[in-house]
Amino acid sequence: MRASAWMGASLLAVVALAGITGAVLPDSLLPYDIVADVDPTRAGLPPGTDHWLGTDHLGRDVCWRLLLSSRAFAGPGLLACLLASLIGVGAGSLAGYAGGPLAAMVRYLATVTASIPRFVLVLLAIAIYGNSTWLIGAVAGVAYAPSVAEAVYTRIDSLRRAEFVLAARAHGLGSGRILLYHLLWVNCRRMVGRHALNLFGYLLLLETTLSYIGGFGVMEPEPSWGNMLAFEFGYSTANPWGVWAPVLAIWLTILACGLLGEALAERRHG
Amino acid sequence: MAEPVADKPTQAAQQRSAGSAGALGLGLAVARQLAAFALTLAGAALAIQLLLWVSPGDPVDLVPNGEQIRAELEAEWGLDQPFLVRYGRFLGRALQGDLGSSLTYRPGAEVSELVLPAAGRSLRLLLPALGLAMALGLLMALLTAGHRSVLRRGGQILSVAPVFLLAFLAAHLLNESAHAAMQRGMIERPDWFALPDTDSLLKSLLAVLVLAVGSGALTEVHGALEDEIVRLRNAPFVEAALARGAPVWRHLLWNLLPPLTTIASSRAAFFVGGLVIIEKVLHLNGAGSMLWQACRLRDYPVALGITVLAAVAVCSARLLGDLVRLAVDPRLRGSSP
Repeated sequence: MRASAWMGASLLAVVALAGITGAVLPDSLLPYDIVADVDPTRAGLPPGTDHWLGTDHLGRDVCWRLLLSSRAFAGPGLLACLLASLIGVGAGSLAGYAGGPLAAMVRYLATVTASIPRFVLVLLAIAIYGNSTWLIGAVAGVAYAPSVAEAVYTRIDSLRRAEFVLAARAHGLGSGRILLYHLLWVNCRRMVGRHALNLFGYLLLLETTLSYIGGFGVMEPEPSWGNMLAFEFGYSTANPWGVWAPVLAIWLTILACGLLGEALAERRHG
Repeated sequence: MAEPVADKPTQAAQQRSAGSAGALGLGLAVARQLAAFALTLAGAALAIQLLLWVSPGDPVDLVPNGEQIRAELEAEWGLDQPFLVRYGRFLGRALQGDLGSSLTYRPGAEVSELVLPAAGRSLRLLLPALGLAMALGLLMALLTAGHRSVLRRGGQILSVAPVFLLAFLAAHLLNESAHAAMQRGMIERPDWFALPDTDSLLKSLLAVLVLAVGSGALTEVHGALEDEIVRLRNAPFVEAALARGAPVWRHLLWNLLPPLTTIASSRAAFFVGGLVIIEKVLHLNGAGSMLWQACRLRDYPVALGITVLAAVAVCSARLLGDLVRLAVDPRLRGSSP
C-alpha cells in the first residue's frame, strides 16, 4: 500500500473511532449536557486540560461537540452507502448478466437520475418530507445508486464472455455462483468499496453544507461540524479552535475518504 | 466542421465506409441523440413530480397556506385527476413555458418570469466556472500526466474541500488581511470589503474560482484528462507523427476534444449543485439562492420549476457534448452504438 493510502486509512480510522464513540455514547456517560450546557463564565476559553480544544462563545466544550457531531453523519452515511451498494449492485449485476432490454432500462434510469443534480434532489426532498439527516442519507444513497449500477454493469458486461466465466460454466457451476462469487465478489468489490467511500465523503459534504448554511440539516443546539463553523464565526478571536477544529475535521475526513478510495481503485482486480 | 485528422489506416478505411452512408448516418445519429434528450427530460420531470405527489397524505397539506387556497390548488394541480393525466398536463404546460405560479416566495407571480432571469444570472457564473475547471484541469494534466507529481497531490488536497468551506475560508482570509492592512493605514477601504455582504467583481471571481475547484471538481476533471492524455501518448498515431517529425500537440488537442466535451457535460449536474451552495454562501442573487429560499418557504411550484430547469440545463449539456463528439468523430455516425 502506498503512503497516501496509509494516511487515508489512519485518518479514517481516527474519525471512525471518534465517530463510533460519539454516536453510541449514551448521554448519561457525558460529563455534562454537551448540547445545551451554556455557561458564560467559561466562554471562549483556550485549549487546556479541562477543555482539550477550549470552549465556544457560549462556554460549550469544542472537543465534545466535535465528537458528538458524528451523530449527524455517521449513521446516515452508512445508510447511504448500504442503499447505494444494494440497489447499485443489484440493478447493475442484473442488467450486466441478463443484458438486453433490462440493461437498457437500467441505463435509462441511471441517465434520468443523473440529470437532476444530487444536491438539488436532496434539498427538494427535505423541503417536501421534512428535515432529517436520515432522509438526507437515504436520498443521497438512492441518488448515488445509478453510478454504482453503471460501474457494475460495465464491468460485468465486459467480463460476461470472459474465458474464466466459460471455464466456470464448463465445470458445471451455476449462474448464481458465477455471478455472486466470480464476477461480483472477485471483480467488483473494490470498485463498490471505492464508490461507498466516495459517497460517505459526499454525505459528510452534504450534511455539513446544509448545516453551515442553516435552515436545513442539523440545527443549533445540536452540534454538527457545519453549524459549529457558522455559529462560531465572528467569535473566533477568543478561541480560534472553535472555528479551525471543525474546518480541519471536515477537510481531513473527506480527504481520507478520497485517498483510501484511490488506493482501492489502484489495485489491479475488483 | 473540418475534416478530422486521419490517424491510422484502419480508421481511414472506417471513415470511408462511414462516409458512404454520408449525411443519412449523421442525420440518424443526431435524431437518436435528440430523442434520447427528450426521453431523459420527460423521465426527469416525472421523477421530480413524483417526489411531490407520492408524499404521504395530501400535497395541499404541505403548502403553508394550503387550506385557504385548497380549491385553487386542487384545480391547478388537478388533484382529482389520475396521476398520468396530471403529469401529461404538467408536461404540456411546461413545453409552453408555463410552470405555474408562485405560492409563497412571491405570491401570484409567474414562476417562469421569476426563474428565467435568475437562471440567466446563474449561467453567467456556471459557464465561466465550468470553463475554468476545464482549462485548469487540462493545464495541470498536461504538466502531470504519466508521472508522480506534487502538483497533483496539492491540487487534490485543495480540491476535496467542500465548496462552502473554500468560500468561507477565502472570504475570511481576504477580510482579515484587508482589515489588518486598513488598520495599519496601508490601503484605503477596498470596494469589496467586507465579503460576502457587498457585491463586487472580486466576489464574482471568487465564486467562479471556488466553484471550479471545490468539492473535488478540479481533481476529477484533472484525473479524467490525465487518463486520456496517457492513453493518447501511447496511441500508435502519435508515435507515427513523432516518427514523421510532425508536431504532436495538434493531434493531441484535436483528439482531446471528444473526451473534454464528455467530461464537461458529465460534470454539468455537479456544477449546478455547487452553484446553489456558492450562491447561498456568498449571497449571490441567482436561481440557486432562489431555489433554497423557495425550499425554505415551501413554495413548491418555484422549487420544482427551478429543478426542472436544472434538469434541462444538464440534459442540454449532455446533448451538446454528444453533438460535438458526432461532429468530431465520424466513427460514431455509422452503425448504432
